Amino acid sequence: MGLVQNVVFGLVQGSYIAIAAIGFTMIYGIVNMINFAYGEYLTIGAFVGVLAAGVLPLPVAALVAMVGAGAASIALAKLFFTPINETGPVPMLLTSIGLGLVLRNVIRLGAGRSARYYDTESATYEFAGVPEVPVGSVDLLGNFFVTSRMLVVVGCAVAVFAILHALLTRTDVGIAMRAMSDSEDLARVRGIDTQMIRNSVWVLAGVLAGLAGVLLGIQTNVSVTTGFSQILQILAAAILGGAGSPYGAIAGSYVIGLVVALSTAFLPADMTGLSSAVAFLVLVVVLLVKPSGIAGEEVREA
Amino acid sequence: MSVADRIRDGDGTLAAVAGVAAVVLALLFAVSPFTVGLPGELSVFVEVGVLFGLYVILVLGLDLQYGHTGLVNFGHVVFFAVGAYTAAILAAQDSFAGTSLGYPWPLALVAGVLVAAVVGAVVGATSLRLRDDFLAIATLATAEIFHTVTVNFSGTFGGSTGIFGVPQPVAAVAGDFGKTMLATLVLFLGLAALTYAIVTRLTTAPYGRVLRAIRADELVTRSVGKSTFRYKMQAFVYGAALAGFAGGLFALYNGAVAPSFFTIQVTVTVWIGMLLGGASNHRAVIGGLAVIMGLRLFSRFANDLAPVTSGEFASLRLIVVGMILVLVIRYRPAGIWGDAEELGVDS
Amino acid sequence: MTLLDIVDLEKEFGGLLAVDDLSLSVDRGELVGVMGPNGAGKSTLFNCVSGVVEPTDGTVAFDGEDVTGEQPEVLARRGLVRTFQHTRQLGTMTVRENVRLAAPDQAGERTLPALTRSQGMQETERRVVERADELVEAFELDHLADEYASNLSGGQRKLLELARVLMLDPDLLLLDEPFAGVNPTLTNDIADRIRALNDEGMTVVVIEHELETLTALVDRLVVLTQGSVLVDGDPETVLEDERVVEAYLGE
Repeated sequence: MGLVQNVVFGLVQGSYIAIAAIGFTMIYGIVNMINFAYGEYLTIGAFVGVLAAGVLPLPVAALVAMVGAGAASIALAKLFFTPINETGPVPMLLTSIGLGLVLRNVIRLGAGRSARYYDTESATYEFAGVPEVPVGSVDLLGNFFVTSRMLVVVGCAVAVFAILHALLTRTDVGIAMRAMSDSEDLARVRGIDTQMIRNSVWVLAGVLAGLAGVLLGIQTNVSVTTGFSQILQILAAAILGGAGSPYGAIAGSYVIGLVVALSTAFLPADMTGLSSAVAFLVLVVVLLVKPSGIAGEEVREA
Repeated sequence: MSVADRIRDGDGTLAAVAGVAAVVLALLFAVSPFTVGLPGELSVFVEVGVLFGLYVILVLGLDLQYGHTGLVNFGHVVFFAVGAYTAAILAAQDSFAGTSLGYPWPLALVAGVLVAAVVGAVVGATSLRLRDDFLAIATLATAEIFHTVTVNFSGTFGGSTGIFGVPQPVAAVAGDFGKTMLATLVLFLGLAALTYAIVTRLTTAPYGRVLRAIRADELVTRSVGKSTFRYKMQAFVYGAALAGFAGGLFALYNGAVAPSFFTIQVTVTVWIGMLLGGASNHRAVIGGLAVIMGLRLFSRFANDLAPVTSGEFASLRLIVVGMILVLVIRYRPAGIWGDAEELGVDS
Repeated sequence: MTLLDIVDLEKEFGGLLAVDDLSLSVDRGELVGVMGPNGAGKSTLFNCVSGVVEPTDGTVAFDGEDVTGEQPEVLARRGLVRTFQHTRQLGTMTVRENVRLAAPDQAGERTLPALTRSQGMQETERRVVERADELVEAFELDHLADEYASNLSGGQRKLLELARVLMLDPDLLLLDEPFAGVNPTLTNDIADRIRALNDEGMTVVVIEHELETLTALVDRLVVLTQGSVLVDGDPETVLEDERVVEAYLGE
């Protein structure tokens, strides 16, 4: 397989990570917590979507999944996170780890271990006759294909970026979110209802997770680990982009997506399982070399 | 006023004496001609007890790191795993997967401790300057990376099969199963008591005062002349070395290691034990661990009675474990026996 | 003899100069006050000198040696010790432990002596305990000695912080607003203690808003505006200086 094909895979992977990473990083920026249960929000979205798709057309089912995950996100926040908002980042992180464990196993009990699939048609567009330009064992170009599913994923991501940008720059809520992400005290002084903004972020993050979950489900399948298997990549992308920065998270996601896809290309065939470790390795390296990420605040101790 | 007036969580001397006595007793019993028939129902208790001894060593290391120094190590299992794999690879003979070098087991055990300490030093040197929650993520990611590496590099680590043929010194001298299990139980509890003695001695000395000061406010601690980074590194490396020791003991007890023994589940269990008992109080964290492992033991019996499959039951158990973590943090942040004021939490 | 010599110090935060080309020297045995309006760079000056932040430019010399950018713990061990504007007590430790912590050269703070409980370490700890109890008593905190520091009032915290830094027996003591949030009686008490320390030979630099207390206390007053020294001299002269009246008192 040529490098071009891996770049295509990387862009697709980066797209759904980006949608999720935006939600993840906004929770970090505004609620000031690392939400380790966030992967489960994707799983919830994927399951709601696959159930709804049984009776509804897929685009409508996707909307149902987004609403469902958004509702789940705010409900879980009200039950678990809002009451301990003031206790600091570590108790919040530990709570999310516990909550993730609970959600994952509740889903496993409810849905069983077997995977479900979205029943979708997909057209494949092949690009043949591209020269391979081999360098060692890797072909720099080579034949590649793009499926309509991939195009949908990338298209959704681009649409999300555009809507998000409009939200953050044009609406009162979005502007308040940015202000609060910079400085919560200042936002409060200016009369921003910080709890309302937090709630909005929970809903928004849930909606994004729902969409990412459906796209992930379409691309692969829907099972109890659908979201959990992505959480470290989402985390890596968000931190790489500078925790708290939505725009940074988008950039970070494509870096992670491409790194994972390309490492698959360069690793020997029996070690492709390492490609996810590569994402974590990128995360660790980023934390060490430039903890503030591409665009964001310092996470080292003063 | 003497040093003793600050000693709050038990004198280590008693634990040291008890520990040495238990280790000697276990060894004498193992070489003695007595035999023991261990009834099936009892063997479950003994098995969990053996594991408890190892987990006590893990939780004490974590309590040094988090309870005293405030270092959020959420990848504790990686040091346990590194110790176990190092000991297994060095000591195993003719494992059909992975590497087995066949060195004497005492050497392997020491190497397990040392390699875990070195890994701890590397992780610490690179991540201890991060904010608390990012340190948690960096350590968690380290554990995931190691897990993936053990699964993928089957030439060295035996892939998901793991490494077999690790010598089992206690079984070798004791002979039959019941006797081996009992001797191992007493031996491990003795080693756990010795660990308690050492850690307590360290934390009740002025050394522990510096660690607790770092948790309270690192900048103040620096401004009164303490090299806090060095202390953080030491606490982190000591905790890692203890986990490596527990890992080495596990390999030599179990006779085999595999990735499935070293999941995030281990980290979660130890953390819940510590938080449930009350971090920074060594006796409390051991108590908390006993509660959570008692629950595990209870659940083994309950599974036989409950009308669900073992897979479903495992899920139910994890739901309970997760809820305990959530509820402890919310309603009992200082744990059952912890001191809320000492931990700086409201309860 | 110069104990602290600050030359052309500069500190930039995100394009803004918090300290701008500031030079100041303090002789051994002096008691110097530093004042200035909010944002004049007083605390940043202390932070640069005590190693909490690294200056962008310039040098800090302590006791004849260049210590620019040196770590706070190293400076503290050398005898340059500071307190914080927003009192930073170790809330999760008792008053007694707070003070004992600061003891220098305690072998028991290293792993091996801590484990072996060596004779020397025990001996040192006895002296530490004694000295700490003396200080706790001297600062009238003995009835609170086993209380967690988080339960102390604002004034008591200021006292505790003083007791703690005195454990180090500093050559140069930098006090960042020691009277902030303290009632008038306690303010006089703290001022007397600072005066007494200075009389015993300790060099002290005090940042303060509280004008009257400061001018009555110090031998020499330095006024900062916009990150550099405006006026430097004895209190009476400084207070009559037109520029000071304009920049600070005129408000």
